Amino acid sequence: MPIGPVVTRRTALKALATGAGAVTLLPWLSEEGLAAFAEIQQAKAPPRLLVLTSAQYQTVEALVEAIIPADERSPGAREARVADYIDLLLGEAPAFLKQRWLNGLSALDAESTSRFGSPFRPLPAAQVEALLADISRDELRKEDESQPPQVDTLLGEVRRPDPRQTPLQVFFADTKQATIHGYYTSEIGIHQELRYQGNKMLAEFVGCETVDGHDCPHCGQKAEG
Amino acid sequence: MPADKTLDLDLDAIAAESRQVAATVKPDSGPWDVIVVGSGAAGGMAAFQLATAGINVLVLDAGRLINHRKEYRTMEWPYASPRRSRLPPDYRAITAAEYNFFDRPYGNHPELAKYKKVASYAGNAFTRNWVVNEKEHPTTGTPYAWVRARVLGGKTNFWGRVALRYGPLEFKAASRDGFDVDWPIGYEDVAPYYDKVDLLLGVSGTREGLAQIPDGIYQRPIKLNCVEVHFKRTIARMGRRYIPGRCGVTTEGVLNNKYRARCLGRGRCGRGCDINAAFHSPNALILPARDTGNLTLRPYSVVSEVILDPATGRAAGVRVIDANTRQVMDFKARVVVLGAGTLDSTRILLNSRSARHPNGLGNSSGLLGCYLSEHHMGPRASGFIPMRMGTEPTLDDGRPTGPYLPRFRNITDKHPDFIRGYHFQGGGGAQEYPGFAHDIPGFGRAFKSSVRKHYPALIGIGGFGEVLPRKENRVSLDATVKDAWGIPVLRFDYRFSDNEIKMARDMADTAEEMLKAAGAQDIKVEREMLPPGWSIHEIGTARMGDDPKTSVTTPFCRLHDVPNVYLADAAPFVSGGTQNTTWSILAMCWRTMDHLKEEMRAGDV
Repeated sequence: MPIGPVVTRRTALKALATGAGAVTLLPWLSEEGLAAFAEIQQAKAPPRLLVLTSAQYQTVEALVEAIIPADERSPGAREARVADYIDLLLGEAPAFLKQRWLNGLSALDAESTSRFGSPFRPLPAAQVEALLADISRDELRKEDESQPPQVDTLLGEVRRPDPRQTPLQVFFADTKQATIHGYYTSEIGIHQELRYQGNKMLAEFVGCETVDGHDCPHCGQKAEG
Repeated sequence: MPADKTLDLDLDAIAAESRQVAATVKPDSGPWDVIVVGSGAAGGMAAFQLATAGINVLVLDAGRLINHRKEYRTMEWPYASPRRSRLPPDYRAITAAEYNFFDRPYGNHPELAKYKKVASYAGNAFTRNWVVNEKEHPTTGTPYAWVRARVLGGKTNFWGRVALRYGPLEFKAASRDGFDVDWPIGYEDVAPYYDKVDLLLGVSGTREGLAQIPDGIYQRPIKLNCVEVHFKRTIARMGRRYIPGRCGVTTEGVLNNKYRARCLGRGRCGRGCDINAAFHSPNALILPARDTGNLTLRPYSVVSEVILDPATGRAAGVRVIDANTRQVMDFKARVVVLGAGTLDSTRILLNSRSARHPNGLGNSSGLLGCYLSEHHMGPRASGFIPMRMGTEPTLDDGRPTGPYLPRFRNITDKHPDFIRGYHFQGGGGAQEYPGFAHDIPGFGRAFKSSVRKHYPALIGIGGFGEVLPRKENRVSLDATVKDAWGIPVLRFDYRFSDNEIKMARDMADTAEEMLKAAGAQDIKVEREMLPPGWSIHEIGTARMGDDPKTSVTTPFCRLHDVPNVYLADAAPFVSGGTQNTTWSILAMCWRTMDHLKEEMRAGDV
């Protein structure tokens, strides 16, 4: 089997079992629904939500934009319609995961209100930063090998839960991982942000120019002496 | 208006065509000289060799036909689907952790039972219509990630394309370290057939003159990208090589086949190459064989057993269960060639029980099913090469394979902890999806810029190690569990030994050592072994030999016990080194078919 540049097991699992993402609870999106979904994303039309309320959607937009914001190079997760992707994931997630995530969203607002007297969405940047810094602590979880593996994230990753994490930490980690996937598989993420060069017809793969006997302008390595 | 384009494949049409083709091929539609079971690397090559020699062949495949124009979605972007190349929600692939944790059959576990289709780990958005449903194809016994595809061309539709030769180190391994036995044949017996396969199908690579990995006849090689050149120069100082990957993809075209074009550097070959520059059996072998007029193809034909003619002691043909109608039919021919894949061919033989062969056909030695071997995997390491950090990404992945790091253990030296060896595959640079981002902590501008800073600099390698062929690693027929067609399923009794475990430790150590030497940052090392079967390189369960008491087939892959049954896949292989198996299946099959053709000409079968 092929093996690419695999990173940790988390990444390896992701690469090998691209989103075991999955559910049994109907209804999930019909073909027509998916087509409409795609059109909405392309047309910058308002979302047609499966799970989230309009208010929740706006909170999710603020959260994913805080995770991957617009900057001088490219738009962020809001414009890449990552909130729509998360709504789709919720619509196709097992019931317990959906509920856990929705509870987490409420807990985010509750935490924000108790600390700053305001729900999450209108918080100024400095307070968003402070809040997310707290709940992102220890976000890359250790797995408890004695626990049975289960579908444990919106992306459908099969993992063993880490009981030491608070519900808000679990919520943040899950949302962040889904945001990464939604953003870096979008047109904005692939083409504008990463400036990925591949998936085109080539006469011949170029590679490092030292292979052809000259100094390489991309990496600075010298031609073989 | 098409809906989710990634799901809109109109498979009903190709399934209907397959049913219609199957209905027209009946037991009395022959006669055929040879029945070939399977249409992947083994069955495809067998059919091609026989049909082009003027022999009438019936190819039976358990799956449907394939429409490569629709089903090989080579250039599809992830955003073509709102699900972003994730599986639909009623579909599930088994993950690494689950293989070892869940009881068998996997499809029965409550966590998996709720899905409509449960696939092996190889099931993804692109392969999901080819790989089998574990619920229809259960296994029992010890954990084993058995990847099967029931569709024309089998696993060659999504294989990893690494095309390597076994060399003297494999054929005469026992003579070097005293473990088990040598193959009864040598590299010199197979080398001419590797040459023929190279020329027929096209293989990309470079001639290196290395003892551990013999050279082939190569088309234009695949270049290394920037981080890989740096890594190559670093480990060269350690006496190790990092060479262009050798892959079964034609980079310059093949003049013998009108169904294939040369490589256009898109990458993504594992989804199926829609111009067939990568070797896939349907366009590379089956269609040209069909064009001879000597090939009959019957899809949806599940072979349950080889039928014995009690009068002659020879095989009379095979029993087929139509996958849709469930009709049972006996197809007859002079010769039966099994190319269903090592484990399924073995299963067919084990299930071919008669008064004369109560333990399965060809099993007078009692060794049919024993000596199951493959490659252990899992240990790997990755990191980021500083010289490319923060630079603009180049086109690093428009190619069918990454570089290859040949075996360096137990060639001239002798490792104190284990015998045999391992190799690494893997490379680096900017890949479409930045999977490493999932491991970068934090959020906001710092997170986003960290992802793009690391993006061009990633490099990672993963090992493949020899699993020693041991008699106690075996498959047998389960006494009670049957598949969806009522055929007994395989029970695995397969475990890694101390040699594999110690070798895996060394793999992780040397991977880390080389990345450190290359000055990589944020090095991550994975030390855990992946579940048995992960390599999809299974071999050995009908091993060849000169003595019928200690082997199942002759050195020409014919059953010792039944003179007109041949094995075209890797079941007769004695040991498998570190090398990916497909190219050796193709070469060995060609050799076996040359032998069969001569036997048929001489009237011996």
